[in-house]
Amino acid sequence: MQTPHTDLGPTAKPAAPLRYRAERLRLTGRVQGVGFRPFVYRLANQHGLTGWVQNQLGEVEIFVEGCPADLEQFRTELIASAPPLARPLIAAIREAECQLLLNFSIRDSASQREARIFVPPDNFTCPDCLAELKNASDRRYRYPFINCTQCGPRYTLINAMPYDRPNTSMAGFPLCPACAAEYHNPADRRFHAEPLACERCGPSLELVRDDETIATGNEDCLHLAVNVLYDGQILAVKGIGGYHLLCDAANSSTVAELRRRKNRPDKPFAVMFPEGDDDDPLACLRQHVTVSEDEAGALLHPARPIVLLRKQANSALAQNLAPGLAELGSFLPYSPLHHLLLDAFGGPVVATSGNVSGEPVLTDRNTAQERLGPIADVFLHHDRPIVRPADDSVMRRTGGAVRPIRIGRGMAPRELEIPVALDSPVLAVGGQMKNTIAIGWKNRVIVSPHIGEMDSPRSLLVLDTVARDLQKLYGVRAVQVLADRHPGYTTHRYAANLKLPCTWILHHHAHASALVGELGGEDAWAVFTWDGVGLGEDGTLWGGECLVGRPGNWRRFASLAPIRPPGGDAAARQPWRSAAAMLWADERDWDGIPDPHRIAYTAWQKGINCPTSSAAGRLFDGAASMVCGIEDCSFEAQAPMFFEALATPGEQMPGALPLLRHEDGIWRSDWRPMLPMLLDPHRSKQHRATNFHAVMARVIVDQARKVRDETGINRVGLTGGVFQNRILADAAMRWLRLDGFAASMPSVMPCNDAALSFGQVVEFAAGGGSQHE
Amino acid sequence: MNEPRVTLAQGNGGRFMRELIQDVFVRHLANDDLDTSLDSAVLDFPQDRLVFTTDGFTVQPLEFPGGNIGSLAVHGTVNDLAVAGARPLYLSLNAIIEEGLPLAQLERIIASLAAAAQEAGVRVVTGDTKVVPCGQGGGLYLVTTGIGIRMADIQPRPALIQCGDAILISGPVGDHGTAVMLAREQFGLEGDLASDSASVLPLTSALLQFDGLRFMRDPTRGGLACVVHDIVRSCQLGVSLDEWMIPVNGPVRSVCEMLGYDPLYLACEGRILAVIDAAQAAAALECLRALPGAAEAACIGTIIDSPPAVILRTDIGGERMLQELEDDPLPRIC
Repeated sequence: MQTPHTDLGPTAKPAAPLRYRAERLRLTGRVQGVGFRPFVYRLANQHGLTGWVQNQLGEVEIFVEGCPADLEQFRTELIASAPPLARPLIAAIREAECQLLLNFSIRDSASQREARIFVPPDNFTCPDCLAELKNASDRRYRYPFINCTQCGPRYTLINAMPYDRPNTSMAGFPLCPACAAEYHNPADRRFHAEPLACERCGPSLELVRDDETIATGNEDCLHLAVNVLYDGQILAVKGIGGYHLLCDAANSSTVAELRRRKNRPDKPFAVMFPEGDDDDPLACLRQHVTVSEDEAGALLHPARPIVLLRKQANSALAQNLAPGLAELGSFLPYSPLHHLLLDAFGGPVVATSGNVSGEPVLTDRNTAQERLGPIADVFLHHDRPIVRPADDSVMRRTGGAVRPIRIGRGMAPRELEIPVALDSPVLAVGGQMKNTIAIGWKNRVIVSPHIGEMDSPRSLLVLDTVARDLQKLYGVRAVQVLADRHPGYTTHRYAANLKLPCTWILHHHAHASALVGELGGEDAWAVFTWDGVGLGEDGTLWGGECLVGRPGNWRRFASLAPIRPPGGDAAARQPWRSAAAMLWADERDWDGIPDPHRIAYTAWQKGINCPTSSAAGRLFDGAASMVCGIEDCSFEAQAPMFFEALATPGEQMPGALPLLRHEDGIWRSDWRPMLPMLLDPHRSKQHRATNFHAVMARVIVDQARKVRDETGINRVGLTGGVFQNRILADAAMRWLRLDGFAASMPSVMPCNDAALSFGQVVEFAAGGGSQHE
Repeated sequence: MNEPRVTLAQGNGGRFMRELIQDVFVRHLANDDLDTSLDSAVLDFPQDRLVFTTDGFTVQPLEFPGGNIGSLAVHGTVNDLAVAGARPLYLSLNAIIEEGLPLAQLERIIASLAAAAQEAGVRVVTGDTKVVPCGQGGGLYLVTTGIGIRMADIQPRPALIQCGDAILISGPVGDHGTAVMLAREQFGLEGDLASDSASVLPLTSALLQFDGLRFMRDPTRGGLACVVHDIVRSCQLGVSLDEWMIPVNGPVRSVCEMLGYDPLYLACEGRILAVIDAAQAAAALECLRALPGAAEAACIGTIIDSPPAVILRTDIGGERMLQELEDDPLPRIC
């Protein structure tokens, strides 16, 4: 991981005060596209220093001379007062010969040698721009595309590196004289703000209804668009990384209509709240959801992610925003356009991705019109092209910290560092669901924003584009491709067709290695990889594994008693199948199994399309089905999410499940003793849900103890999509720590399959994976 | 338990074998061109453009709702000739019988084979019989080789396929695969599920009247999905299918849903998929629908100008890629 240096270490004692000294500094880290050079320029002038600063394809070289005391102050502030988006790292400082220059200048970019390139992510609207947006005497008053070096789009508009305006989707907007003056003035906040624009020269809005433009002109468009929301209609809005569908979040019939048109009967919608004034930007949000301090920090992060927050009972929002769930995905406006819309509307709006279920968010005007036409009443377009999509990032507090569930706009591309350098550049194409990709070379790994579910042709197209773009932007060419070993994954087939050497990485090895790759350490780990399904070493489906070792060398130490859900993939949509497989394995029957002709049962007996799975996710499905009677799910993990919402945090550690070592040397926890409790109608659903979560957390503690007894390993990691479950993750983390374990969860990468691409690189770099399918 | 069964002696080339051939095969299959005293048949052809194919049949169980291995051995080979634009004329028949097969069952199967041949207008003109020891065969394996003649000047083939062409299916998909599986695994389901096993010759003959016809195939093993993937591979274009337009019988749909199977990957034995100039699609469809076994014919998609892939559009505006059949489809999603 990159961490900004905040301590420069000891510096030379000031010598004779009037003696000039000169220094050369080389800075790496995120120093491009973030206003770093103008900052250096201002800082040097402020301290009366002379010299120059030069951008060298990602690195910054500074030559500075002056009094030693001023130089020291300059160096300190260079890091401590750097612009919020910059993450400078001082790579080298050396004494230089004084040249007695007369001023401080910004030299033209040099590009003669290889350098560390950083592609910046997209960011919010900074306070300075927000103030101008609201200032009637500012020339960008109410301009929906205001931005500066400290804010605005980046990743989604960069065509090529270096990050200069001609290489962005702003190339088609020649600067007006006023903007050009700002762009070229080193002292200006907008010096080389590449997406810089104003009403005169920049992008503008267009409002379309029924394929006809009904308004142009930013003010008219905004005014009419807000009326669309007031009228209870659905508005498609082109944002930074793609289209959103917006509607009044307090109007339940509009929300129901959006659900009907989007064919999304239950899946929760996110809500965007107007941002309050400086006293409390979260004032409106707090009326509807509960926010802790660290959750507030996440909401206000420049990425402006969606944060899952507990609903308040007295909220006046529509009841069908997140039916059956205790939480609501909440976020703040992240672009000036959204600020203007939300301020004018004066209340929260549903803001859901403008896509067709699971596909990457749509970015192109015509495709959006075509694909979202049946959903949106009115389209609010703009003419700044989106080069590639970036969906909203999502975070949730689990296991004692706010952690990402989806890395998208503002959080990705995300760079991580690996301890073992790669011999040659690699492309890792991830998994099948919630997918991201990664490129890795030397010690660097860049993870793409969320791409989506890989079943659709559009997902594959976006994956291919992003794979090419990331390599182009960072100037690397992969000579090796890494993919999941599951032969049915779209990404597996894509990898096999690339005409590059392929290395196949086991799903759960990638999960475990992603965790260790992020959290580091030389010691061996016990990593619990709990998720819905992934192909395991023995050809069965894993997902409840305790893996012991380190990247490149994982051993399956413990697991869960396997089940054989009838119908294969259908079990993911129909949790009753997992319930049936659990009950049939214990020679029980249950009238909640919708199998009147015993077709599923016969198939189960004969082993027809009933693949063996040790996935914890399937057990959560089955238990949820038994307790809540859920037969069908309209979105992934719906049953476990409802189930979690019923549960309360377990205080006392419950009794243990049997944990036995099997003939193959693997310890397996047997969940069958829980079945009578799960089916007991005399216990409340809340009680049963709470008990199940606590028992599953206890399984983790018991298995971790076995690892410690046998190997002495004390570092425990929790990863896999199941640990998005707060009740489970909180209890497991708490009890592991009480038991003396060093327990941790990832917080840079999501614990779900979004981390697979990164994990594949870590695993490969450590010598893992196989060349044979 | 003294039901007469096939014995090894009936395959030893002697009297028992001659009697088996006479009593079972010749009795049902007799025609002017079949002379079992000769090693080869001498045939007349009205023209010299022959179409030639062969196919082996190992289906289990040997008999299933809607047909048996005998009728299947005719339909399979006849259909392969028919979709190539041919009129089938002659078949050869190889029977590899497992010792112990009840003679009555063998007779039922060969009678059914004979009926199917007669209906399709083909003659079995040569053949061979072997008996293998008990435990070394699945009761009965049949191999048929067929010869036909071209019916029209056009020869449908993938090279004719163009962007914008329409894709037709002659009826509901997955019936045969579902019926055979349920019978094999003894699900004990009585109902409307029967194999669609039939000769498609009337359907292909009708379509050959259209000069815009590009290509025909009968979706057997691997189902509809396999055929469209073959099309995509050979013409290097995309295929877009409208999922809601693809006919699937209700019982097939519900059984597949229960078992987690996709009917698009399950075998048919009496359907054809045709690619035809879009301008003639409506007329071709009307023509098909008037024929027996094709009342539910439908236009299910188009050839599109895209990289080679099969895209399945759903009625709610979604799109997913229809992958090629995996050997053993494993769950992918969590």
